[in-house]
Amino acid sequence: MLETVDLCVSYGAVKALNGMNLVVPRGEVTAVIGANGAGKSTLMRTLAGLVSPQSGQVLFDGASIAGTKPEDIVRNGLALVPEGRSTIPELTVEENLRLGGLWRSKSDRGASRDIVFDLFPILNERSTMRADTLSGGERQQLAIGRALMSDPKCLLLDEPSLGLAPLIVTQILELVSRLARETNLAVLLVEQNAVTALRVATTGVVLNLGEVVKSGPAAEISSDEELRHAYLGY
Amino acid sequence: MTNFIDYLLGGFSNGAVIALMALALVLVWRSTRMVNFAQVGQAMFTTYIALTVQQSTGNWVLALVVALLAGSILGVVVFFLVIRPVKNSDTTGAIIATFGVLIALQAGAGMIWGGDPEGFVPPVDNAGLEIGGRIWPVSLYDLLVLAVTAVLVIGLTLLFTKTSLGLSMRASAFNPEVARLSGVRVNRMLITGWAIAGATGAIGGVLIAPFSTISPNSFDILLVFAFTAAVIGGLDSLIGAVTFGIGTGLVISLVSGYSDSGNAPIVALVLLALNLLLKPDGVFGHHGSRSV
Repeated sequence: MLETVDLCVSYGAVKALNGMNLVVPRGEVTAVIGANGAGKSTLMRTLAGLVSPQSGQVLFDGASIAGTKPEDIVRNGLALVPEGRSTIPELTVEENLRLGGLWRSKSDRGASRDIVFDLFPILNERSTMRADTLSGGERQQLAIGRALMSDPKCLLLDEPSLGLAPLIVTQILELVSRLARETNLAVLLVEQNAVTALRVATTGVVLNLGEVVKSGPAAEISSDEELRHAYLGY
Repeated sequence: MTNFIDYLLGGFSNGAVIALMALALVLVWRSTRMVNFAQVGQAMFTTYIALTVQQSTGNWVLALVVALLAGSILGVVVFFLVIRPVKNSDTTGAIIATFGVLIALQAGAGMIWGGDPEGFVPPVDNAGLEIGGRIWPVSLYDLLVLAVTAVLVIGLTLLFTKTSLGLSMRASAFNPEVARLSGVRVNRMLITGWAIAGATGAIGGVLIAPFSTISPNSFDILLVFAFTAAVIGGLDSLIGAVTFGIGTGLVISLVSGYSDSGNAPIVALVLLALNLLLKPDGVFGHHGSRSV
């Protein structure tokens, strides 16, 4: 589904990603974990088209998308939920959701909205309220809901646990993981919080200083003590 | 008391035009986070175009429509020729550049139409209406100005709150990155903002011209009032621009009535200074919506 080949991204002299290879299959959650500064957000911003790679490839559905504009990438089915509960606080819940798929036909949008409300019923209840009246967990649901309104084939979640209670994060991620299985959606999750991420993921990838240190089944990674001590700090 | 009511009533149509010009400033602010000081210059230029159309065809509605189209085109031209190349490197530079555009438009208008003030004939009578044996300070033309303004404001409100285009424009203004990630073509929305602002200012120009005369510099004072209204309203708020645009019109009318019209700009600037001291985010602005 989504694949990176030898992906290199630099900010000036600083190499944020150094030859990264990654495969994100459909129907499951792939978790990229690593400490602050490992290159996780850079990876997500590059995949979404906000940052251009220096070299290497981003393949989506077999086609190269590196250098495509973010607004075209999301229209092609690759949606990013950026770090920090990226809703627009001045707009209502309904407007935030509608924004996610404005280019689509009204009936397609309606179908997606039903899926979102089914997944996160609280958004239906709060539909006419401004996004800034929502709690942190509700805003994260809204941000994911907005991304789902584009009917993505692949969903990118950047650090959804940031500033949220662990229980809420687990609930939201389990819903997303179920959605991935049921609708054959590819999900790429990057997290500093390795425990939660590996719990919902099928595959785990450990990233350190822009390089993949280890990848394999999530259960295997979470039980590898050496890896935990060296890169994940717990 | 009769004087007071007369002065107040006489201020509404002027206030409506100030509101339109303030709206134009706010629309540009919302799309590109900068004040376009050339706005009144663009309005002056398109009003001259409208004057030419009216003089040759005698059709006011046609002149208004031509001004509207010319205004939106001129807005886009200014954006592409001046703002976009400059703004990529420096917003302050772009704001200074709008002064350059203002001066260029004034010089250009002087070369094409000459510097002498010309009269713009109103489509309906501009003399005070006589109702109940008394002449009121409100003319048929004042009512037309208020009606056109109301239609435009309601139209813009519906555009922004009810349509997909409006939602895209608001999202682009509030958070361009999230808008792009949602599939909105943000650049197009910025250009659309400049076009709508240009059209709004152009209509304001055509409406205000019959109240005095038109010359390359005749709208300069309008910039002072519109800027005051837009800033006090919060620069981000359409309601703020309309409310304080009309409010400014009423204040000007009262100040001119009780003292001298030459004092009106001073009063406007004092209000602006007080506002910046006491409520720097503007009355309808939200915190952090601008930094002056």
